[in-house]
Amino acid sequence: MALFVQLALNTLQAGSVYVLFALGLTLIFGVMGVVNFAHGQFFALGALLTSVLVPALHDSLGGSVAIAFVLSSVISIIVVLALAAAAYQFGFRRYLRDMVGSFILSVGMLLFFEGLFLWIFGGVPRVVPNIAPGELRILGAAIELQRLIVCAVAVAIGIMLYLMLGYTRFGRAVRATAEDAGAATLQGVRHKRTLLYGFMVGSFLAAVSGCLTAPLAVITPSVGNDYLIKGFVTIIIGGLGSIPGAIIGGFAIALLESVVGYYLDGTMATIGMFCVVAVLLLFRPRGMLGHVQH
Amino acid sequence: MYSIDRKFVALNVVLLVGAIAFLSVSESTYVTQLIVWSAINAVLAAGMRFVLLIGETNMACGAIYGFAAYLTAIGVTNGFDAVPLVVTIAALGGGVLGLLFGWVTLRVKGPYFMLIGFAFTEVIRLAYTRIDYVGGNSGMVGIYAPISLDRWMPAICVAVCYLLVIGFFAAEKSSFGSLMHAVRNNDKVVETLGVSALRVKLVCFVIAAVAVGAAGSIHAYSYHVISPGDFSFLIPVYALAYAKVGGERHVVGPVIGAIFLTVISQLVQGSGALQYVLFGGVIIVSMIGVRGGLIDIAKWVRCRYRIGGARLRVLKDPASGELG
Repeated sequence: MALFVQLALNTLQAGSVYVLFALGLTLIFGVMGVVNFAHGQFFALGALLTSVLVPALHDSLGGSVAIAFVLSSVISIIVVLALAAAAYQFGFRRYLRDMVGSFILSVGMLLFFEGLFLWIFGGVPRVVPNIAPGELRILGAAIELQRLIVCAVAVAIGIMLYLMLGYTRFGRAVRATAEDAGAATLQGVRHKRTLLYGFMVGSFLAAVSGCLTAPLAVITPSVGNDYLIKGFVTIIIGGLGSIPGAIIGGFAIALLESVVGYYLDGTMATIGMFCVVAVLLLFRPRGMLGHVQH
Repeated sequence: MYSIDRKFVALNVVLLVGAIAFLSVSESTYVTQLIVWSAINAVLAAGMRFVLLIGETNMACGAIYGFAAYLTAIGVTNGFDAVPLVVTIAALGGGVLGLLFGWVTLRVKGPYFMLIGFAFTEVIRLAYTRIDYVGGNSGMVGIYAPISLDRWMPAICVAVCYLLVIGFFAAEKSSFGSLMHAVRNNDKVVETLGVSALRVKLVCFVIAAVAVGAAGSIHAYSYHVISPGDFSFLIPVYALAYAKVGGERHVVGPVIGAIFLTVISQLVQGSGALQYVLFGGVIIVSMIGVRGGLIDIAKWVRCRYRIGGARLRVLKDPASGELG
């Protein structure tokens, strides 16, 4: 019993971060028709800045690590959003709905940013101090308190995004643009502004998931690439452009990783992940909940 | 039906013979290696463009390329010395893998096909790390051609790559090439004419897979050492970059892109993190600055030279909207 609860907790914790990351990817694809390989670099920048700033702020300001973590996260997210705005304005804006062109541009950005981060931050792996020491025991299974907090924050942000897309004017504009950009414009949706905001929200999710990952993993400039591959697998499973699909896909990937990783190893978990995708696409060519076609 | 242009044939024969002659007498190992790497990358890029003609992005070419390289390594390390036979078998092996993959996955299209190819490349790479027979994570070493062929190998490799690119051009200009364009424009219309769009896509994919397989085999002979890390998703990503940076409009575009980016990557080799910055920067600048690729710059310069300072006359193809 304890084992199953432990696996479920691991799934929940890893899945919540995967979901946030994949939500950003799928939102950008849904709105702009762009397969954004630079998404992993926005994630990496969020994680790297947090890992650098937390010890620095903790040493200079004093107080608890948690406060330093919150401050660092805010600064990191602002920097990532500035970078994302520049990437959109000078790059992606020219390749809207051009899947291959935007893909190559994003690959160029991936290499450029990865090199830049390696140059600035160095290749040394970084570890963030524990933001909430202690652990909780649930039905015999143990989970670190900081993992539980990260999971709760990720779930809260996910719910806020869901509500925003479902019930606000901006959310309706984003969904209308994803469904049919031309018709949305005829209905008074400001197309270019919606695309920019959609891209910024997607990049915000990458930055937040990077910040939340920082205390839980060893951070290097290439950390974004692992998440990028998992993020793509997640949105293929869920269906490109589908928000509920990204949530289902994220938790499915985390479950597979936890179970196969426990009984076999990490490599087999990754191979299993790709096999699941291949089989799924045979029966559901647009993923589980995919409906957007470009 | 495509009629053979004598000038075109003569130009290519001269270029091919010139390249073979240069590589046969060249004393600089580095230059010959650079030419061979450029030629291999040119085949990868031309193969990527060939599949783009049916409107799909072939991210599985990394898996096919690696599979053929491993077949070559297995053959050579088990004592098979006949280079043409090994390259042919590896190319056919790549074609068979392409056939199996394409038969299953070409039913989906667009971003799904692209991303499943990306996943396939990664899963095949991970599979090598688990197989001890092919050296696991360490890979395989000692992939050498017979000593008697050693001096001629660069010339043979470049000649094979050259012929493969010419083969792509000939296939594109054939009636099958017209079918590929038709499938790209609207596969439903093609179906109504009694032609199976899936079959056209599959044949196109397998042709590209055979050529990419041959390039993979040449890669193994050229580098002498292979490991799973050599065949990551970056292979198709770079191939796409060569095709885009060079220009997709003509088969020469990917070749120019491959040569340009291969030389750039060698120039910045060893500069650590800056290598990524410069390589990524070149791709970004090329994509933002020259949307039609380098081939459009060449065309622009040629037009300007012909007109001799008069106002540049830009021809526009009304069907595709591309510069003509």
